[in-house]
Amino acid sequence: MTHPDDDVIENLLRTTFEGPVVDGGFADRVMRRLPPRRRRITWPTLAGVAAGAGACWLSLSSAPLLSAGWHDWMNGELSAQAVALLLAATCASLAACCWTLAEADDR
Amino acid sequence: MDDGAGTARIDRALAARALLADDTLAFEQLVRRHQGMVRAQLRRLLRGDEAAADDLAQEAFLLAWQKLHQFRGEARFSTWLYRIAYTCFLQTRRRKSLPSDDIDEGKAGQLPAPPRTTDMQLDFERALQGLSSAERTVLLHCVQLGLSHDEAAYVLAMPLGTVKTHAMRGKAKLKKWLADWNETSARGARQ
Repeated sequence: MTHPDDDVIENLLRTTFEGPVVDGGFADRVMRRLPPRRRRITWPTLAGVAAGAGACWLSLSSAPLLSAGWHDWMNGELSAQAVALLLAATCASLAACCWTLAEADDR
Repeated sequence: MDDGAGTARIDRALAARALLADDTLAFEQLVRRHQGMVRAQLRRLLRGDEAAADDLAQEAFLLAWQKLHQFRGEARFSTWLYRIAYTCFLQTRRRKSLPSDDIDEGKAGQLPAPPRTTDMQLDFERALQGLSSAERTVLLHCVQLGLSHDEAAYVLAMPLGTVKTHAMRGKAKLKKWLADWNETSARGARQ
């Protein structure tokens, strides 16, 4: 419970506070001086994605499961390898979607 | 819906537009919505120096524009702005090597009075100047700017316990002043 003197003091503090200042052209002055925002550099991200994709391709290109799955998929055969490849691609897409939604929610 | 929550949602939406679409009109809305309180905060911190407070407020808003990607929406946008403005104030004070703004009783009596004040408000202003800088700053943010203790701790970069202690000590000193003031005015009325 608050002491009655606390309320008196808080009321006095609020009464003596002048409150928000009237704009009087302040916002216009700020907007005139607004510098162009520095763009975030995108090339390290793009280079990272390209390097990752390249490394992934190099390490998996010799795997028989991947080449067989890819071959079957391209020929329209729903073999076990093709289904495994499809499932892996679906899981990766879902994970990317979840991550994007979580990031968007944070903003 | 709670008005404060609605305001915070609008602020977050404007900040997102300003950031993602580089929308200066959205940022202008944010400046117009918050300039009044940020300038009031800085005027209090700078003891009524309006020109210096407006310069600092401008610096704070320009900094907010550049650092907008750091606003993650965990705190209210207004609280985030108060923190930037308070940091600008501290940096300026350090840069100019200004002494701590704790002043003695004699100097407190010479401070300019705000317009349209009663005797009690005038005396109260002087009593307020007699508090330590930290106590005054905490009371400014917690009572006059209407922040919670948690928000004040975030703005002032102080531990929560320290904020509560300063608020309690500041109020205790003001309560003592109020008791003395009531006693003096009652004695004056009897004579």
